[in-house]
Amino acid sequence: MKAKILLVKIWAVTACALTLGIIFFLFAYVFWNGAEAITWEFLTSAPKGLVIGTEGGILPAIVGSAWYTAIACGFGAVLGIATAVYQVFYCRSSRISSAISLVMQCMAGVPSIVMGLFGYSLLVLALGWGKCILAGGITQGIMILPFIQVRAEKALREVDPLLIRASYSLGVSRAYTIRKLVLGQCLPQLVSGVILGGCHAMGAAAPLIFTGAVIMSKVPKSVMKPAMALPYHLYMLLIQGTSSVNAYGTAFVMMLVVLVANTAATWFAWRRKK
Amino acid sequence: MRKTEDRLFGGIMGIFALLTVLLLAFLVFFIVRESLPAIREVGLRELLLGSQWRPIIYQDAPSYGMRNMILSTVYVAALAVAFALVIGVGCALFLACFATERQRMWIMPYIDLLASIPSVVFGFIGLYFVVKFIEKCGRAAGESVLAGGIVLSVMILPYMISSCCDTMVKAYSRYGGSSAALGVSKWYTAGELVLPASRKGILISMALATGRAMGETMAVMMVLGNAIGLPRLLGKGETISGLIALEMGMAEVGSIHYSALYSAGCFLMVLLFAINIIFELLKKKLSREGSL
Repeated sequence: MKAKILLVKIWAVTACALTLGIIFFLFAYVFWNGAEAITWEFLTSAPKGLVIGTEGGILPAIVGSAWYTAIACGFGAVLGIATAVYQVFYCRSSRISSAISLVMQCMAGVPSIVMGLFGYSLLVLALGWGKCILAGGITQGIMILPFIQVRAEKALREVDPLLIRASYSLGVSRAYTIRKLVLGQCLPQLVSGVILGGCHAMGAAAPLIFTGAVIMSKVPKSVMKPAMALPYHLYMLLIQGTSSVNAYGTAFVMMLVVLVANTAATWFAWRRKK
Repeated sequence: MRKTEDRLFGGIMGIFALLTVLLLAFLVFFIVRESLPAIREVGLRELLLGSQWRPIIYQDAPSYGMRNMILSTVYVAALAVAFALVIGVGCALFLACFATERQRMWIMPYIDLLASIPSVVFGFIGLYFVVKFIEKCGRAAGESVLAGGIVLSVMILPYMISSCCDTMVKAYSRYGGSSAALGVSKWYTAGELVLPASRKGILISMALATGRAMGETMAVMMVLGNAIGLPRLLGKGETISGLIALEMGMAEVGSIHYSALYSAGCFLMVLLFAINIIFELLKKKLSREGSL
């Protein structure tokens, strides 16, 4: 009996230490090895070299990723939050509400590569947009939509029902209550959900392979043109196997974005609780 | 005036919600439509069970059997879930029973960081660390199903931990107080009461993690070696998602090869739908029973 308890003790402590250690290691490894690659020139010039990317910087990839992520966030946030508002405040039938939840659950389960196939056949081929930032961004937007919706729904359901009833009984319309009272109160959590969703979109290469990302491009000027993206650039550098310094540098930039975005998202999420 | 504004706002929200639901319908429609030619031409049975994947014609006819890729996908995902189960459940147990509410508030976002790390970065570190490590242990090529399982297990860890931790916190709040009052040690409560009580919750988190693991593309593709033979623990393999990512560029639009890749995606999608629907139903059933 004693031995079993001791085993549980060792197991739980080791597992927890290991998990926390792995996370620390992942960031430390990239930051430590990537620091030497980060120079002003690396961040502000285009990739160069006989094999693209071995020399020069990653500016087009940074700008491209910013575009993709911005479009994904816009698309995902509007549809995700609107769906959550409809589900919580307008939908009267519990059947429809749970059907929406099931749809979201299924959508969240669609693998990112299948999302890419969908974006390719609908946006790139059927609508004739060709490979471009808009197609890639929207594909990523569909990918993060359920992520944002689930968080938005949770935030909306946490609003005190007494507050809403008080507002209704004062004769305030439902639309006004939602816009001024509910969304105002939930804003930090909604922003937090969108930031985390954007973080996912920024790091996902799979949906972009067929819909927008290219090996080499100039700094994009129009959303109807294809553009480089950070994760895809890192992938290309690795399969060419030539430039590990620039690969570490690219990973450094992405990990930094992840760290900053998550810190901001957590801070926003805590603000509501206080 | 106010009524119309209210109706308008509600209507707009309704339209957006409808659009979201339609998106999934569109997705299913397009993936199925593109995969039909291959299913008609090659046959579902041959596609799923055939052992040869030779999309490019040399002498004999091309063949499109995805059996090895399906096995690879299942193999890597099963390994990953097994590793993540051992680490994740232990970690969740510690967090649920020994960390205070305040400490959890700090540690959970830290663990959630894992879910935000780009999958390419996981593949990168997997390639430079896990694969190199296996090579140091005496294998000629470190790219293997084992490497894929290890990398993937870290990627699904946050889902496993947060889902298990939720269940265990509830179980602990049910038993913790009375256990402490009876003078039972915290470790005994954790091992003998909280852990068995969370069995169903752990099962659910495994379903969720399996879904995540099967859909993952980039990281697994980078450390798996991408050879389309029968997968072995220390041999190379290629998952369904890796197959799609690697070969879509070569396939001519409208060809059987192209359609076969869509049908691979379709199969993966249907499989994950099934897992997710089971997950959703189980969750609902358990929360009704009050054990979640």
